[in-house]
Amino acid sequence: MTVTDAAAGEGYGPDPAAPARARRPRRDGALPYVMIAPLVVFIGALAIYPTVLTVIEAFMHIDPLTGPNHFAGFGNFSAIFRDPEVRQAIVNTGWYALFGVALTVGFGTGIALLLQRPFRGRGVVLAIIVLPWALPGVVEGVIWSWIYNPTFGVLNSALKSLHLIGQYQLFIGAHQVETILLIALVQAWQITPLAALIVLAALEAIPGELYEAASVDGASWHRTIRRVTLPLIRPALAIATVEALIMSLNIFDQVYVLNANSTTASSLMSTTYFITFQDLNFGEGYALSLMATVVTVAIAIGVVKLLYRKVDYQ
Amino acid sequence: MKRPLRSPGRLVALVAVVFWSLFPVYWALKTSLSTNAAAQQAPAQLFVTHPTGVSYQALFGAGPESADAAGGIARSLINIVVETTGATVLTLAIAVLAGYAFARLRFRLKSVIFYAVIATLTLPVYATLIPLYRIMSDVGLVNTYIGIIFVYTSGFVPLALWIMYNVFIALPASLEEAARIDGATTMQTFHRVVLPTARPGIAATAIITFLFGWGQFIFPLVLSSTSSTEPLTVLLAAIDSRNVPYTIINAAAIVAVAIPAVVVFFLNRWIVTGITAGAVK
Repeated sequence: MTVTDAAAGEGYGPDPAAPARARRPRRDGALPYVMIAPLVVFIGALAIYPTVLTVIEAFMHIDPLTGPNHFAGFGNFSAIFRDPEVRQAIVNTGWYALFGVALTVGFGTGIALLLQRPFRGRGVVLAIIVLPWALPGVVEGVIWSWIYNPTFGVLNSALKSLHLIGQYQLFIGAHQVETILLIALVQAWQITPLAALIVLAALEAIPGELYEAASVDGASWHRTIRRVTLPLIRPALAIATVEALIMSLNIFDQVYVLNANSTTASSLMSTTYFITFQDLNFGEGYALSLMATVVTVAIAIGVVKLLYRKVDYQ
Repeated sequence: MKRPLRSPGRLVALVAVVFWSLFPVYWALKTSLSTNAAAQQAPAQLFVTHPTGVSYQALFGAGPESADAAGGIARSLINIVVETTGATVLTLAIAVLAGYAFARLRFRLKSVIFYAVIATLTLPVYATLIPLYRIMSDVGLVNTYIGIIFVYTSGFVPLALWIMYNVFIALPASLEEAARIDGATTMQTFHRVVLPTARPGIAATAIITFLFGWGQFIFPLVLSSTSSTEPLTVLLAAIDSRNVPYTIINAAAIVAVAIPAVVVFFLNRWIVTGITAGAVK
């Protein structure tokens, strides 16, 4: 238990006034600062400082080989908006967000409603449902690329056996929106469990009397869902939506494996990666990063404001 | 209250959900245990008739196809274990100490610091990826365990702090008051009373952090892409883009699936607690 050892190693000291202090408002001296110091150092140096750097460097002309950077105004931004690859990535990411949120929140809410009432074997089902969430995105990309395989894939095999397609097809890379949908589906497979658990927790918090009252009033299942359940799980739906939105705006692992560096289904993140670390164009990379960060944070705040209202069970 | 499922509609829906969750993993497992010829049959065979371990042997450097395929999978397994475990231990140490300070102690600038840290939860990968690469290059920590562990920790700590803060807030204060009245110092109380009571919350946070670490890809792709430190996820993407038989690629995927799958099936209860504590507040 390293945690305990670390805790035991510091902060012991004389505390003669302890019993007397119990009543009046106290400050705890230096100890709290010692306890939060590692946190402040890590977050300051490796989260806040880099974010500030992104904001500054997005306005700089950066050449990693020839040295000193100089102020470029909005030069990097006009360069990225002139770049057709970036424009395509922006459109693609819009599709990723749309499909990602619809699939994840839709499936997630459905699964949560299915698991709402207790039944035998529910724990096992929950464990099975959580599994895709726990797997690395790259692994999922690899597993699904084999499922989508144009010559030996099981999806082709299944669709052909069901006579839905005449012959084996190329699923990934043939059409833009179809490719994006199929890659978004892989990510949805991964993050749906998160949405399901968030909504399930909200469902379990709804007092049973509300359902009894609805059934006494003769409300149908459909009507009960619409009038009782949905309004009460609104905050949870807001959180699930925001999480799905942020993750689909950031989609990278699945795109990297399934789409590689083709522009067909490139995402903002994959384009940023290739521009920065393959083309070594750091200035544009920073500009893209800043733009994507601002958009992500703004959309997240907007959705929460729109959907999130405190729930009152009265 | 627990009763078997009555309505056939719900039963069908449940079977569909279980199939949806398990089939892709089953398919990779099935492929990894097939011969190349069997894996490439059309129509696809749903079950393995003659399971074989050749793909796994090749992956770990034995058998005829090993040269191309393996490329250091054993090393990348060690790397991912070291990096993920290191980041989990460091994240927990930082989040448990700070979480307790924020939940129970009084000090200046407390809420400003707390919300500044929690706000970094909303930062997407974009915000820090490029500068972290440059910072790590400047201090010579690219392609080192320490570098990747530090970067993981900075990303994992805000959520871990949030969960631990809520765990400590929810503990009954009376136990700590009793310890204090008995003359224990804050640190003694923390060590002997608080930590043992908070153990389930700490376990949940540790498990979730570990799974996050195991799934990392873009940061190690940028920060540790040489074989001495690259984790299994980065190697898997590299194998996938090489001309390696699908059976071996799927075997590598199953190696990467094994540990998270074991964690999910044996420690599932804590994962659900942790996710819910982290998300719905």
